Amino acid sequence: MSLENMTATLGGADHPGADAPAEAPGRVRLRAFADNRLAVAGLAVVIALTLFAFIGPLLYHTDQIHTRLAAETLRPGPGHPLGTDNVGYDQLGRLMVGGQTTLEVAFGAAAVAILLGVVWGATAGYLGGFADGLMMRVVDALLAIPALFLLIFLATVFKPSVLMLIIVVGVTAWLVPARLVRGEALSLRNREYVQAARTMGVRPPTIIFRHIVTNSIGTILVNATFQVADAILLVAALSFLGLGISPPATNWGAMLSDGLNYTYSGYWWLTYPPGIAIVLTVVAFNLIGDGLRDAFGLDTRRG
Amino acid sequence: MTAAGPAAGASGPVLRVDGLDVDIALRRSVVHAVRGVSLEVAAGETVGVVGESGCGKSTLGLALAGLLPSSAVTRGSIRVGDREVTGVGERELRAIRGAEVGIVFQDPMTSLNPTQRIGTQVGEALRLHRGASREAARAAAADMLDLVGLPRPREQLDRFPHELSGGMRQRVVIAAALICEPKVLIADEPTTALDVTTQAQILELFDQLQQDLGMATLLITHDMGVVAGRASRVFVMYAGREAETGPTAEVFGSAEHRYTAALLDSILRMETPRHAALYTIPGRPPDLTADLAGCPFAPRCPAASAVCGTTYPPAAGAPGAAGGHRWHCHHPVSEPRPAPHATEPSR
Amino acid sequence: MIRFLARRCSQALVVLLLVSVIIFILLHLLPGGPARAILGTHATPTNVAAFNKENGLDGPLPAQYWHWLTGVLSGNLGFSYVLNQPVSSVLAQRLPKTAFLAGISVVLAVLIAVPVGLYQAVRRARIDDYVVTTVTFVLYSTPAFWVALLLIDVLAVRLHLFPAEAPQGAFSTLFGDPSALVLPVATITLVTIAAYSRYVRSSVLDELAQDYVRMARSKGAGLRVVLLRHVLRNALSPVVTLLGVSLPFILSGTLITEQVFNYPGVGLLIFNAAEQQDYPVMLGVVLVVGAATVVGSLLADIVYAILDPRVRASVNGEAGR
Repeated sequence: MSLENMTATLGGADHPGADAPAEAPGRVRLRAFADNRLAVAGLAVVIALTLFAFIGPLLYHTDQIHTRLAAETLRPGPGHPLGTDNVGYDQLGRLMVGGQTTLEVAFGAAAVAILLGVVWGATAGYLGGFADGLMMRVVDALLAIPALFLLIFLATVFKPSVLMLIIVVGVTAWLVPARLVRGEALSLRNREYVQAARTMGVRPPTIIFRHIVTNSIGTILVNATFQVADAILLVAALSFLGLGISPPATNWGAMLSDGLNYTYSGYWWLTYPPGIAIVLTVVAFNLIGDGLRDAFGLDTRRG
Repeated sequence: MTAAGPAAGASGPVLRVDGLDVDIALRRSVVHAVRGVSLEVAAGETVGVVGESGCGKSTLGLALAGLLPSSAVTRGSIRVGDREVTGVGERELRAIRGAEVGIVFQDPMTSLNPTQRIGTQVGEALRLHRGASREAARAAAADMLDLVGLPRPREQLDRFPHELSGGMRQRVVIAAALICEPKVLIADEPTTALDVTTQAQILELFDQLQQDLGMATLLITHDMGVVAGRASRVFVMYAGREAETGPTAEVFGSAEHRYTAALLDSILRMETPRHAALYTIPGRPPDLTADLAGCPFAPRCPAASAVCGTTYPPAAGAPGAAGGHRWHCHHPVSEPRPAPHATEPSR
Repeated sequence: MIRFLARRCSQALVVLLLVSVIIFILLHLLPGGPARAILGTHATPTNVAAFNKENGLDGPLPAQYWHWLTGVLSGNLGFSYVLNQPVSSVLAQRLPKTAFLAGISVVLAVLIAVPVGLYQAVRRARIDDYVVTTVTFVLYSTPAFWVALLLIDVLAVRLHLFPAEAPQGAFSTLFGDPSALVLPVATITLVTIAAYSRYVRSSVLDELAQDYVRMARSKGAGLRVVLLRHVLRNALSPVVTLLGVSLPFILSGTLITEQVFNYPGVGLLIFNAAEQQDYPVMLGVVLVVGAATVVGSLLADIVYAILDPRVRASVNGEAGR
């Protein structure tokens, strides 16, 4: 789990906004985001890479199942724009397929993390008192164990598949959104409209979702983008440690770490394409997250 | 409760502003925060600057203290004593701030560094400008805290801001601003963050300090009551411009500008009948990024006519005189209102 | 402050307890039950029964937990049949090395990140800020193992400046060849700096926007005075809390680094244990590391309480944690 994620809970989630804008808040935020060139660039990169990974194979057919040892580690050239890897798979095609898995796991894990975290945090914040204290201590306890250590253990017990990876990564990642949403819930539960809903007899789950969660949507969205970025790095680390998914499936992290075995042979096309893909995607998501943060006015930090 | 008047034998105004324009650059537009403001304050005199939020009075205060952001462009002149403050480099500005011009901000809670002791913060300006040693600054700070009415000043020196009440903190802020005995004191909403009783005490303090130290004071506020008893002259601002100015009693007693009149009307008085509707000025202040022709108050003015929308009203009343009563209105209160749909300019 | 500390300590205690519960749950997630998982697939039912009896695994769950917990507190973290040693002695060898590696890296990271973050904040939105921000951004987004391997490739292999492997053996041998520590420390430090300087930059920018800075400027203070006498102290307190919160993150990075450089710490230990399915060691590491971060975080909060006069005096010093 990244530092960004952890420090998200430190700085203080919400600052009193500027004077109420004349436009609908959604519009204002959209425009603020659109004004942020870096954030828009990030979004463009993410969209481009997603299309590359999912639509690419429809246009550029390669065989990613059967190995062709005769064609192993060929340099980039005609027929193989990015060369081939150590078992003869076309590298460009592999990059696309690997991208699919990377993005699937990242989005999936982020979704799991957000879902779990929001429900847990909103409930804890809304309930307050002892229940809140206990729920948050559980979060603290899980946070105390470094993600990679926990994941190594879980990966030995549960055989990794894409679904398993999503669940396992998501399960370590839900803690920060829980903390964040709990913070929001704590401040929101004293707002008049929440108290009004309570006195009207609205049932707690409805209050939690209709009022608290919807008003924390900014914090949640921002954290969701950072979750995706983190998940990509986490899966890459797991693949490097040999705990990822087995071939012929692959992801960028696995491609990078496999390729690194050949650094001394100078096969740059085995490392730089997946490596740069990872860095680009993580940077892009971080930029989007920052842009969203600015647009929602959640932090006085960024310039 | 005598309003402070100009000191006898003063050799001209200590603070003199001439045709000040302040533009602040935003991402996509420019805010004309202050337009063509001219005023003077003599030693020992208090001038009140009144207006609603967003009228530019705080920007004026910041401009006078040389604290405008780098995105601000100033034109015109600001003179403190003999020195010209506009267009001057950062180093000179630093020499002026704290030594020649002291400024007290609105919120005493946030104006003080929470992790620094009171004594250090009060004495800071003395160490910066007069090169005082730590002990000398401490002694001076204790004296200053005594002057502003803090009980047991020597004990307060080592305390932290959160240990004091709001009123005490504001006294500390005032002490810090005045420790170098500056010629000019700018007080930007000094009592707004305080409760009513404390407000009165702080205002009394200002009076007393002015008698003791004789600085020229600019009291910036949206509360006309604060100005009424304290300032010898008042300057009413609207949309960054001067609406009306003059001796307080005259301006409040016989206001000429329609805005001033409206402000005075909206003050709740004892005589107001119990179920009468409260008068509020309709509409909202104008957008300062637009280049307005004509009088900025026209859209909300009950006496506006066609000319108000096209031409900015020239100064009327006692022309040019620093102490005289002056206003910018095509249809001042003393003249009859034009007919509602009059299309020709009135007299 | 006493009240604040008492509250934080009791919270930490509860968290530690919960960490132990989590480990206990993990123990029972093991395939085939703890006994079979630890003893191996060739274990006979007699072995399993004996093991269960010995380790108190034959009663109701709460009793099991109690038995296990008291064992842990008295130093019994289990026995590794793979390494043929008690888990506690393996940990005792490895833990100091990881602490050393992580400790040095964090200290270095802070010493570098604070000035860098300060610099970024002061030069905000100018070209140097953009350059430094871009570099830290990219560094932050690069998988740690790639950073490590790139460092090895350039500095060890091509330039022969530092060895590519860390010193093995006892703790004392670590100091025998300091140059072998350079690359591992550099890896963790680089990745941590990238994250920390961003945080310092935000923190400083936050402080610079505060009213007391405006007040100080209005007294005639210049940038240097403002930064050094006012901002730094206030901007650094959150950094102390950051240190406490980021311990798990740093330890994850340390794990990868240990694997790459073959550094004999607990990260490499758990990795090897995973390959050999040495569950007692894995659980022992997770428990100890989890407990360490709780304690570390508590220490950071204590230091923060000492530094911030508001907390020192006040009753309710919690800042939204």
